[in-house]
Amino acid sequence: MSSHQDFTPKPVEKNIRNTYRWLEDRLPILSFLSDALVTYPAPRNLNYMWNFGSLAGIALVLQILTGIFLAMHYKGDVNLAFDSIQHIMRDVQWGWLIRNLHMVGASFFFIVVYIHMARGLYYGSYKSPREVLWGLGVIIFLLMMATAFMGYVLPWGQMSYWGATVITNLLSVIPFIGKYVVVWLWGGYSVGDPTLTRFYAFHFVLPFVIIGVVVLHLWALHLHRSNNPVGIDLKRAKDYIPFHPYYTIKDTFGLGVYLIPFTLMVFFLPEYLGHPDNYIPANPMVTPAHIVPEWYFLPFYAILRAIPIKEIGVAAMFGSILVLFFLPWLDSSPVRSARFRPLYKQIYWLFLINFVVLGWCGANPPEGMFVIIARVATVLYFSFFALLPVLARYEKTKPLPATI
Amino acid sequence: MKFLLIALTLLLPVLAHASEGEAALPAQNWSFNGLRAGWNKAELYRGYTVATQVCMSCHSFKYITHRDLMRAGFTEAEVKAMAKSMNMDLNAPLLTGLAPADAQETYGKVPPDLSMMNKAREGGADYVHAVLTGFSEDPALIKEHFPDGLPAGAYFNKAFPGHAIAMPPPLQEGAVTYADGTPATVEQMAHDVATFLQWTAEPERFERQRMGVFVLIYLAIFTLLAYLSKRAIWKDVKGH
Repeated sequence: MSSHQDFTPKPVEKNIRNTYRWLEDRLPILSFLSDALVTYPAPRNLNYMWNFGSLAGIALVLQILTGIFLAMHYKGDVNLAFDSIQHIMRDVQWGWLIRNLHMVGASFFFIVVYIHMARGLYYGSYKSPREVLWGLGVIIFLLMMATAFMGYVLPWGQMSYWGATVITNLLSVIPFIGKYVVVWLWGGYSVGDPTLTRFYAFHFVLPFVIIGVVVLHLWALHLHRSNNPVGIDLKRAKDYIPFHPYYTIKDTFGLGVYLIPFTLMVFFLPEYLGHPDNYIPANPMVTPAHIVPEWYFLPFYAILRAIPIKEIGVAAMFGSILVLFFLPWLDSSPVRSARFRPLYKQIYWLFLINFVVLGWCGANPPEGMFVIIARVATVLYFSFFALLPVLARYEKTKPLPATI
Repeated sequence: MKFLLIALTLLLPVLAHASEGEAALPAQNWSFNGLRAGWNKAELYRGYTVATQVCMSCHSFKYITHRDLMRAGFTEAEVKAMAKSMNMDLNAPLLTGLAPADAQETYGKVPPDLSMMNKAREGGADYVHAVLTGFSEDPALIKEHFPDGLPAGAYFNKAFPGHAIAMPPPLQEGAVTYADGTPATVEQMAHDVATFLQWTAEPERFERQRMGVFVLIYLAIFTLLAYLSKRAIWKDVKGH
């Protein structure tokens, strides 16, 4: 944002050609947008992993747009919700398309954000001076999880109902006030109509809160500019290129590549990532054989179930996400990019593989070997964060180049 | 690095899906699967015959009206004749005459609505087909699963989870007479009605897939042009 030191108002321009300057003098929104999307100096060595930030933004906008049209036809009432989804799928013009976009869009939003986070983790994008940028990202991730969880309740199928019951019940472990908190959250003594109605309200409003945090995320980004694959501070002007046209066209190409598998899912496999039980209307009298959350929650769900003591399991599950806030201080190595950190690179890949293993455990019933694998994987998950301070002290990093 | 990362992330949803399957169902050949698939009108009409004459004695299709059949390729005259032969309004949902309370008393539970059945069960049409053809009175088989005998009022079914189903075997050889002369074997009726249930579950299936082909063609061209533009614009950037 360009700062205006001269506070004396300029005369209104008579010439229509000066409308830009007229508006600029009153609300510098055009130069703000231009600074953010046109002239923003981006490192010239960014690889395709840097596409996922703008993709996440596009995914968010797509969710909000499709969501608004769904909200025009959805009924947030336990007696009407399930039928209203079928009304959208069968009677509303293009209803099936809007709903499939929203449903598949949620999964793809998480895929994009997981890759975006994994990129930040690999290239040390969370390190000084970008700690707050990273923290805002973790807040966005938490808000996304809350929004997605409540969105999955809205169709009011069996998994909606029982997923909501299992997850909200977790709060009952809060000492002393836990069970009152749960009743307060439900608006009754079980998940019911008041729960559905308030979840609908939150599901509608939280994405706009996410937009607000995204603006802060971008603000923090633009202050110190993007990290880059080499992870060093870029000092020369020629290390940067303007965002437009270089990254606008690169992101456009990335968008095309992203939309192809997205389209395949929306038009050919819309139910692939869903659960058949959610096409059975919610029934408080019948518990499904296995209650599984959506795939993007599975690693955290596995951590929850890996620990036999419920209170500690809940704490570990929330802790597994909250620990991300402390990452910039846990990893005190001055070198950002994993390219120059041979040991970090190895535990990074182990951490990622372990995360997928956790997800696999979360998808399976907590029996037999899955319990053991989930416990080992839970320990490994937290070991990664515990190892970081030690690693920074003993790791021999490769020499950093002076420039790119 | 990049590809490994993306592959790993994509593995998560796929793994979640792969580990859900239970007993393998015998996969059937369905006219709605494959590259040149579509709704087979003759098959749907036979399935409709079984659905309305057998299933609807107990089950409803509450999201389906006769008018909806026009979306599957039936003409207005045909649909009107079908509705008339059932003394139904064109826009009335296909509801069973069996009251829920009576069903509860006779079968111990209210039969589920069938409109969404193929989406609401793992295995979809294969599952419906397997249940309809999976009834058995073989005492050795029943003894194997239920050493103390079947629960009262239940029937043995190979595909139904738990193997004890409240529904009596609904299909008997010749239970319906097909207008096109096809012999009404249990296998034939199960296949036809499972196809019909696929249509009731996702009547938009082929509108969706047809549109998807065009969107993909559009995106392929869009992505190619974007790639060429990207290459042209980045030509002068050092190291790229």
